[in-house]
Amino acid sequence: MKFALFLGCNIPVRVQQYELSARAVLDKLGIEVVENSEFKCCGNPIRNTDNKTFILMAARNLALAEKQGLDMMVLCKCCFGSLKKAAHLLKQNPSIQKEVNGMLAGEGLQYKGTSEVKHFLSVLYHDIGIHALKEKTTRSFKGIKIATHYGCHALRPSDITGFDNPVAPVLFDELVSATGAQSIDWPLKLECCGAPLLGVHDSLSMGVTERKIIDGKQAGADYLCVACPYCQMQFDTVQQMMVSAQKLNQSLPSIVFPQLLGLAMGIDGNSLGLSRHVLDISRLESFLE
Amino acid sequence: MFYNIVLYAALTVFGIGLIYKISGWFRFSIGIHAKNKTISARIPAALKGLIAVIFSQKLGTLIRVFIMDVLFQIRVLKNDKLRWLMHMLIYAGFMFLFFTHALDRVIPTSLFDRYYLKLNPFLLFSGCLVISGIAIAVYRRFILKVPRLKTNAMDQYVIILLAIIMLSGIALESTKLTSYNHYQKIWYIHILTCFLGLAYLPFSKMFHLFTTPASLLANSVMDKNSDPANIMTRQVMELDSCTHCGTCSFHCSVAVAFDSIGNENILPSERMTFLKDYITRKNINAQGLAAIQQGIYLCTNCDRCTINCPAGINLRDLWFNVREEMIQRGHSVSLMLTPFSFYRGLKQQELDPAQYDNPLHKAEKDLTDPFELVNKTEEIISLTPANREFKESADLSTRTGTYSYCFTCENCSTVCPVVGNYENPQEYLDLLPHQIIRSMGFGVKDLAMGSRMLWYCLTCYQCQEHCPQGVKVTDIFYELKNLAAKEASRSSE
Repeated sequence: MKFALFLGCNIPVRVQQYELSARAVLDKLGIEVVENSEFKCCGNPIRNTDNKTFILMAARNLALAEKQGLDMMVLCKCCFGSLKKAAHLLKQNPSIQKEVNGMLAGEGLQYKGTSEVKHFLSVLYHDIGIHALKEKTTRSFKGIKIATHYGCHALRPSDITGFDNPVAPVLFDELVSATGAQSIDWPLKLECCGAPLLGVHDSLSMGVTERKIIDGKQAGADYLCVACPYCQMQFDTVQQMMVSAQKLNQSLPSIVFPQLLGLAMGIDGNSLGLSRHVLDISRLESFLE
Repeated sequence: MFYNIVLYAALTVFGIGLIYKISGWFRFSIGIHAKNKTISARIPAALKGLIAVIFSQKLGTLIRVFIMDVLFQIRVLKNDKLRWLMHMLIYAGFMFLFFTHALDRVIPTSLFDRYYLKLNPFLLFSGCLVISGIAIAVYRRFILKVPRLKTNAMDQYVIILLAIIMLSGIALESTKLTSYNHYQKIWYIHILTCFLGLAYLPFSKMFHLFTTPASLLANSVMDKNSDPANIMTRQVMELDSCTHCGTCSFHCSVAVAFDSIGNENILPSERMTFLKDYITRKNINAQGLAAIQQGIYLCTNCDRCTINCPAGINLRDLWFNVREEMIQRGHSVSLMLTPFSFYRGLKQQELDPAQYDNPLHKAEKDLTDPFELVNKTEEIISLTPANREFKESADLSTRTGTYSYCFTCENCSTVCPVVGNYENPQEYLDLLPHQIIRSMGFGVKDLAMGSRMLWYCLTCYQCQEHCPQGVKVTDIFYELKNLAAKEASRSSE
């Protein structure tokens, strides 16, 4: 199994633990990832103001993966949603496709729609499978309660992303359960992390985050678990900012899923970037059997 | 006599240029950190920093960087082998020519026999090196189509100047024995272009000969905790270290946007060109300001420019500093109400809290103010005739037309986490999602486009997913925002 790995802009500089742990896990699972230093911004940040530029930016990445003859594996959920959306618009709209291809021609690229875009979690769930994952684990978590955070742009709009059932998803919970950890039910599981409004309207962004943290805490979670750099930064760096500013009097640290899976597969904490968090997650390994 | 006059004239200009440029590092300031950083504070701070580094363990770092990055230019090699070859050929060949040929009267005979230098097999050899280097430069700039690589007048002048020096040099050597007449004419050309190059050096990108090593060395020993006065000085110096090689733009995550927007300031290499000019004058017209604001805000802060810059310029910190100065001025920046603001939000503790919200409020105001009706809650809206033109212009995508299916069940507003954040949401959001969709049905443009709800949308797609009628609520919001941003940019022109 071979994919073109799409990291996006944030992971390599601000959420390196996600890249480290995902690579470590993929390596153990025998999934080959091919680098492409030509991949650039997915276009998501400019969707608010300039749809055409958004599609161009996304299409360029899609065309690059096609040139490699590979499907794309995306770690970030905002990148995933944005690439899926753009691919949908390009397929639906021949005139947009023609215009975009005209601009891409300057770089010798063309979007044809032959490569598929998959999120990291989907690859684990559909291409590897829960059963095979369990076979690869050497240790099991016990007594740890994980609050899975699905991430909006993977789950919705479900007709375009096709990630899972948008109202009652199970994919992420089953993946977490495969490590022996307990995936808890919590009311705000499918809600937004607040990151899209950070820097735009901080009190609103943090208000959304705060409700999720309190809700997760009340449901008894030990950790939040995410698979998106924006969610992770919001639940780690931004949550710490909220605690320091006394906007929050409790905290619920967050980890990225491949860290949890990696530990269960016997990978050491250092290779999974466990020390690269702002909030304290030192208790995590003590839940391993 | 002629030779000496021209030599001293060139040397004088070179010397004055050097003093002017170096003093500029302390005279000019840049960005928001500029406050209270006077020359009288910056010069002693620089000296203090320099001495502190030389007498510390950091000296080892300096030596390593000098050998690896300055002499062997490993950073260039890692990036682009062809460019490294080009640069090494020009740099090694020219250095050799400079010491053995230009300074042949000064070099002691104990090192090189003067006869040997005149005969000079090295002359031919190093000449060939430089010419091959220039050929690669010409090929790269003018034949090879590197996407978005911009070649400005300065790049051309330098290539032309070097080419004339080299070609006249060859012609000079070959006419030496054949034609005295030609030899004399060519001698003038050769000498004059050489001295022109010398005089022009401090004012051209050739100045990077001094400044790029200085930047590489300074950045290897400086960090966030360095004296702010020294960071300011370094940032000004870094502008002189930029060779306009285009590496930053090549790696830039958002450079592709230039192809559709056409604003050169989106490309980091072109922003550097702008800044070089800007720091000396500080005045800029409204159009130029709007372009630089958009260019510098259209950035995902992926750090690729900084990681890859062969001159070791810390572009990340430079952008952060300059971006803040730019957005606090003049026009509002629509891009501020997008996820491009995430990084600024993350780094808000480094910014002045009294200033932080101002540009955001300004952007919000400029995007919503044109739609007055939103704020006139007492006004009675006539339902006919609906604004057909608006309804049609909003049909950007196949999905937007779905607004007409809305039967006002208010599911969208009920599931919206933004609405749920407030006790009295209308006070903060103006209109709720279902009201915006209904306004579209009525064709009331001001209501559909003027509410803060649009810009406070998290784009989480809960509304769209939960709509029983299949109204593409979030997608419609995206398109309304697109329209509002276009109107705002038109009205600011």
